[in-house]
Amino acid sequence: MVLPIIEVKGLTYTYPESESPSLKDVNFKAEAGEFVLVTGPSGCGKTTFCRALNGLIPNSYGGEFRGSVVVDGLSTTSTPVYELAQRVGLVFQNPENELFCTTVEREVAFGPENLALSREEIAMRVEEALSTVGILHLKEKSPEELSGGEQQKVAIAALLAMKPKILVLDEPTANLDPLSAKSILELMSRLNESGVTVVLVEHRLEMVSHMADRCIVFDGGRIVMDGSPEDVLYSDSVADLGIGIPKVVLVSKHLNRSRNGSLRCLTPDGLASYVRGFPV
Amino acid sequence: MISVEGVTYSYGGDVVALDGVSLEVGDSELLAIVGENGAGKTTLVKHLNGLLKPQKGKVFVGGIDTKETTVARIARKVGLVFQNPDHQLFAETVEKELAFALTNFGASPEEIRSRVEWALAEFSLVKYRDRSPFTLSGGEKKRVSLASVLCYDPEIIVLDEPTTGQDNLQKTRLAGLLTKLNRQGKTVIVVTHDIEFVADFIPRVVVMSRGKIIADGKAEEVLVAKEVMESSSLLPPQLAELSWKLGLKHPSIKLDVVIGEISRMLEASAK
Amino acid sequence: MKVFKAFEFKRGSTVLHQIDPRSKLVYLILFTFLTVYFTNPVALLAIFLSFLPMVYIGKISARWQQSLRGALFFIVFIFVFNFIATVYPSWNFYGAAVSGIAMSLRFLNLISVFSIFFLTTSPEDLTQSMVQLRVPYDYALTFNMAMRFVPTLSREAQYIMDAQRSRGLEMERGNFIARIRNYIPILVPLIISSFRRAELVADAMESRGFGASKKRTSLYVLKMSQTDVLFILIVSTAALALFCLNLLL
Repeated sequence: MVLPIIEVKGLTYTYPESESPSLKDVNFKAEAGEFVLVTGPSGCGKTTFCRALNGLIPNSYGGEFRGSVVVDGLSTTSTPVYELAQRVGLVFQNPENELFCTTVEREVAFGPENLALSREEIAMRVEEALSTVGILHLKEKSPEELSGGEQQKVAIAALLAMKPKILVLDEPTANLDPLSAKSILELMSRLNESGVTVVLVEHRLEMVSHMADRCIVFDGGRIVMDGSPEDVLYSDSVADLGIGIPKVVLVSKHLNRSRNGSLRCLTPDGLASYVRGFPV
Repeated sequence: MISVEGVTYSYGGDVVALDGVSLEVGDSELLAIVGENGAGKTTLVKHLNGLLKPQKGKVFVGGIDTKETTVARIARKVGLVFQNPDHQLFAETVEKELAFALTNFGASPEEIRSRVEWALAEFSLVKYRDRSPFTLSGGEKKRVSLASVLCYDPEIIVLDEPTTGQDNLQKTRLAGLLTKLNRQGKTVIVVTHDIEFVADFIPRVVVMSRGKIIADGKAEEVLVAKEVMESSSLLPPQLAELSWKLGLKHPSIKLDVVIGEISRMLEASAK
Repeated sequence: MKVFKAFEFKRGSTVLHQIDPRSKLVYLILFTFLTVYFTNPVALLAIFLSFLPMVYIGKISARWQQSLRGALFFIVFIFVFNFIATVYPSWNFYGAAVSGIAMSLRFLNLISVFSIFFLTTSPEDLTQSMVQLRVPYDYALTFNMAMRFVPTLSREAQYIMDAQRSRGLEMERGNFIARIRNYIPILVPLIISSFRRAELVADAMESRGFGASKKRTSLYVLKMSQTDVLFILIVSTAALALFCLNLLL
């Protein structure tokens, strides 16, 4: 039996200045190498959940924390954030606020420098992280000179330099245009294939649902659905949750109803090849 | 109502933000301006209320040349709602935030009161009237910023990326509101790269790329034009992509049309 | 605002760019001292002329000139103010003019020397040199972040200004007090969003292991080279020569 790399048990959390909890009895497990898509309406607790996964909650935020979060064998309540940072990388919504150095290279070096690694090791990690993300050519640039998509890639590279096993991304594409968003999401898929566990919060389900192994839906601070993206998107109750169902799913659902079928497509490609008579 | 004639604008340097752009917007239209980041959408929009004045060409709003008047004058007619509410909320209470523009425009106290009441009710903000706008959630702030412009009743409303960070329910509500305002006779211009939102709700689409308008027409025609979508570096609506993949003769962004086409194809192949 | 623009570092590959920030700090201190110490306009002019080769070597003449143009208003203001302040009891117009010119030159020199320093020194090298000069890392990092976020802040200020003008705010309306009040709708969002940004940046820093080790390492370490020794030698000699010139005048 494989130990889960993330295990959240009975997590209820209330921010210091808040009256009601933002997370209510959340239970969640992820295995190493999984790609978990997290979605749900605004204010449903997704961001809070992300912060809980790398220990910012409760270590930096305080508040009332019940239950437990164990990441790669470490309990977040008894491990400092900088220790957790080597296991879990957290990517935020607005890349502008994640980059605080004056060049890309320094930005990526910041993490390894904090770990007091040798200069050779730092240089190697910077090089490796930048090339994994495909932005070696931006090394000398300042964040001001980059597009939003490039900034987000720098932020991801800066986390990869910490060699985390898990990447948690909190709506990383919210401020990006569609092509940049697509390229960030494809990067995530690639990183996942190389073995990184990915937890991705995203609204644009039409772009990402086919990449994920699993989809969980938050509503009102609870996980209300948990299953494969097909299971979740094709379920009857998902429409009431106010999340944007991809058009391909709507079309397929309609066809299923009218023709008594069992289509489970997530992409235009899948549906098109079915219609043209090829097996899905 | 709005007439943009051969406008060119550059922020300095080699890049031309707007390159000979012409656009006509009639009374009570609902249209979207789409394009990738840096296509010139925001620069164009800032010309519509005089924040920027054309370096070449002319912009007329309601027959008035924007070069001949002040921002405050045009802003009364053209309400601009910016993307990030944090860039405008400043007052102690939601009520005062809503009254700000009206006060600037010199409205009478009675008018201010009645307009603010209307906006509080219209945007379900009544219970927040005495709250500080900073304590509200992201979606609520967005509503306050929208209300703070609509409360002075501009004839034209321009929204810059109104769907950023909004969930599906909020987007649907926003679309409902925009459609309603449009039916009441307002001209509504939405600047966005949320192509699915446009496909679902907006009848006319203007596509910009690198400072130029490369397409302007009905959404169901523009958004399914493959060359336009490709040269604008936008992702097509999923239904358009599906239409192309299926090789439909008349690609569509309408759910029922695509479902109908597929049903027909399936029936044909069953025979 | 142009004045600040002219202090913004842009990457370059001239000798002046490659010299250790600590050597340039020596230069900065020496010439700042001379500028403040000298009272004779001729000596001050000599200092000013000594900047020309520096500007040429560093290939920064365009932005240096820009900064001087931006400062023109202040220079005129300083001259007039100084002239009026000194001319009053004595009615010595010549003396007042000389003192006004000296004061203006002093200001010009200060702007120039700081401009040469900042235009050719990258913020990260400057931060690193602070660390190597034993400034605690937290302070050095704070300084570095200030450099990083200045352009962001000015862009944000522009967004806010656009948003409020679109709601009918007219900055130039009303009397002096009213004009100051007109800035409230600009400053409040700017300050609040800066605070929020600070919180988010702190989250991002923590998420990258900030504070993991008491003795953090650094990708780059600055080293003084022979060019640095030569540079210090040249600028010290020049400073000494200027000092002697001042004694002779």
